[in-house]
Amino acid sequence: MNIDEIFDHTSFTIDREPHIVLDNQVCVGCDNRGCTNSCPAHCYTWSEADQKMTFVYDGCLECGTCYVVCHRNAFTLWRYPRGGYGVAYRMT
Amino acid sequence: MSKTFQAIVVGAGPAGSSAALTVARAGLDVALVERGSFPGEKNMFGGVLHRLPSLEEIFPDFWDRAPLERHIMKKGVTFMTGDSSFNTIIEAGNFDKPPYNGYTIFRPRFDNWLAQEAVKAGATLITSATVDELVYKNGKLAGVTLVGRQGELLAPVVIAADGVLSFIAKKAGLRQPTFDPGQMAVGVKALIDMPREMIDDRFGLVREQGFANEFVGCTAGVRGGGFLYTNYDSLSIGLVFHLASLRTSGKTPYDLLNEFMEQPQVAKMVRGGRLQEYSAHVIPEGGYNMIPELTGDGILVTGDAAALCNATGVNLEGINLASHSGVLAGKAVIEAHKANDFSKRGLETFRKLMNDSFVIKDLKTCRKAPHMLHNDRIYNEYPELVCSLMESIYRIEGMPKENMTKLFLKVAKKKVGLANLAADAFSAWRSL
Ligand SMILES: Cc1cc2nc3c(=O)[nH]c(=O)nc-3n(C[C@H](O)[C@H](O)[C@H](O)COP(=O)(O)OP(=O)(O)OC[C@H]3O[C@@H](n4cnc5c(N)ncnc54)[C@H](O)[C@@H]3O)c2cc1C
Ligand code: SF4
Ligand code: SF4
Repeated sequence: MNIDEIFDHTSFTIDREPHIVLDNQVCVGCDNRGCTNSCPAHCYTWSEADQKMTFVYDGCLECGTCYVVCHRNAFTLWRYPRGGYGVAYRMT
Repeated sequence: MSKTFQAIVVGAGPAGSSAALTVARAGLDVALVERGSFPGEKNMFGGVLHRLPSLEEIFPDFWDRAPLERHIMKKGVTFMTGDSSFNTIIEAGNFDKPPYNGYTIFRPRFDNWLAQEAVKAGATLITSATVDELVYKNGKLAGVTLVGRQGELLAPVVIAADGVLSFIAKKAGLRQPTFDPGQMAVGVKALIDMPREMIDDRFGLVREQGFANEFVGCTAGVRGGGFLYTNYDSLSIGLVFHLASLRTSGKTPYDLLNEFMEQPQVAKMVRGGRLQEYSAHVIPEGGYNMIPELTGDGILVTGDAAALCNATGVNLEGINLASHSGVLAGKAVIEAHKANDFSKRGLETFRKLMNDSFVIKDLKTCRKAPHMLHNDRIYNEYPELVCSLMESIYRIEGMPKENMTKLFLKVAKKKVGLANLAADAFSAWRSL
């Protein structure tokens, strides 16, 4: 299971409108960044060199982990995608 | 779109469809709203479907009609450490006779089927519609707004069956505004394609028989465990982690899942299979103490939205509790319509029915289990203790044998410490 190949295994109907919006300024001073390792889809990447958090919602499994794990409420928006968009499981 | 109903159910998972089915059967006009393009599209679990007393009452032929995979006749627990493992397996004759004790299922098929049963009973299913806001009129809850499929639905009562994060319960002020990672877990799962005969031969199964195995000591020190379940022609294999432990571990769920599948004993079980789908979802594991207010004015909360999951370490029960609470919420809505009272007081029947049901009773009985499962020794030292004890017992190399009690105490002292052992035995006994 290579997480960078998530789109080969799980289907998505990606919305142009993001369902999670991160204020990545809040992440700069974060003492934990538990989101980076806990997200099962590797949507959060912290760059030590740039001191910058990158968040990509395309492969989001809508699992809820980051919503629970972030203790600084860094989200300006966290909701499920509009009806009909997002992850689409077939067999799980 | 703006339409008026007698009740709105948010979420077509097991809780929501059971609620809509109950309400529709009483002849009420109910909307069942689901954000997926079909019910079940968004849902994953381990998973084993346990007995469903309330649905069995509604459909006496439930188990003949539902889309099921194998029935669980063989159950195992594996204690793992590095490259060693110790297994206990029970294969009970009674598990191989109807009524069966549990089945593997696929959520996209099962949830869709159950929602269609609600439709047959008269419910209006609205898919591709995410409920966004609660609508209030004259200070009273009056309906919901939708995004995706746009519009507004009106009804005097709403059943929140929107799963673990329940934004509906949050908006109604019924659940805590933030979650405690100490009360939550996340599960990741790989669905592995494998020919049916290979599964039968490998796990010693015939006919429709299935195998369910839980694993401890397979999460590299993160509090959690593993599972492997057999479907007809695939395996469901995955790990569950407590979020308070995962977030500070620096480890990722997918790397740990890969390591788990590469562990020598597990690798033999999945060999020859092909990864078909990867999924993840959060589980409310706080037990009894995490249950929010179940009712408010014009609203009832059911299933995962009300944290109704019973994670005791050996079984994870969720769908059965969700479905039962959905049926009871449906009954309360029927009563409220008769009395034309949708206030919190008018919906109190739900509280009463719940308190008398196995759902609340079991969660109360097991309310200390979440605390016990936060003991790190369960995930590190005990699996090591069991494996090294068994290795010592089986090792025959011409040395004089040690008395079993002495051997146990020696290994336990080294791996766990005797004071810890006594304390853990005491808290395990208290939590039962
Ligand atoms: C890894 C894992 C393993 C598990 N293993 C087992 C097991 O072996 N046995 C067992 O019994 N249970 C198991 N569970 C628990 C079980 O899956 C849940 O308890 C159960 O699914 C809860 O049902 P529910 O209907 O309350 O919620 P859900 O199944 O989560 O359904 C909620 C529904 O609401 C929809 N929804 C959410 N928000 C909105 C909105 N705003 N608008 C419209 N629709 C919305 C969702 O798309 C979804 O269809 C497991 C869970 C996980 C994560
Ligand atoms: S935990 Fe929250 S604040 Fe910290 S890095 Fe992650 S998203 Fe940002
Ligand atoms: S919801 Fe889950 S998959 Fe999506 S970004 Fe958050 S942690 Fe990652």
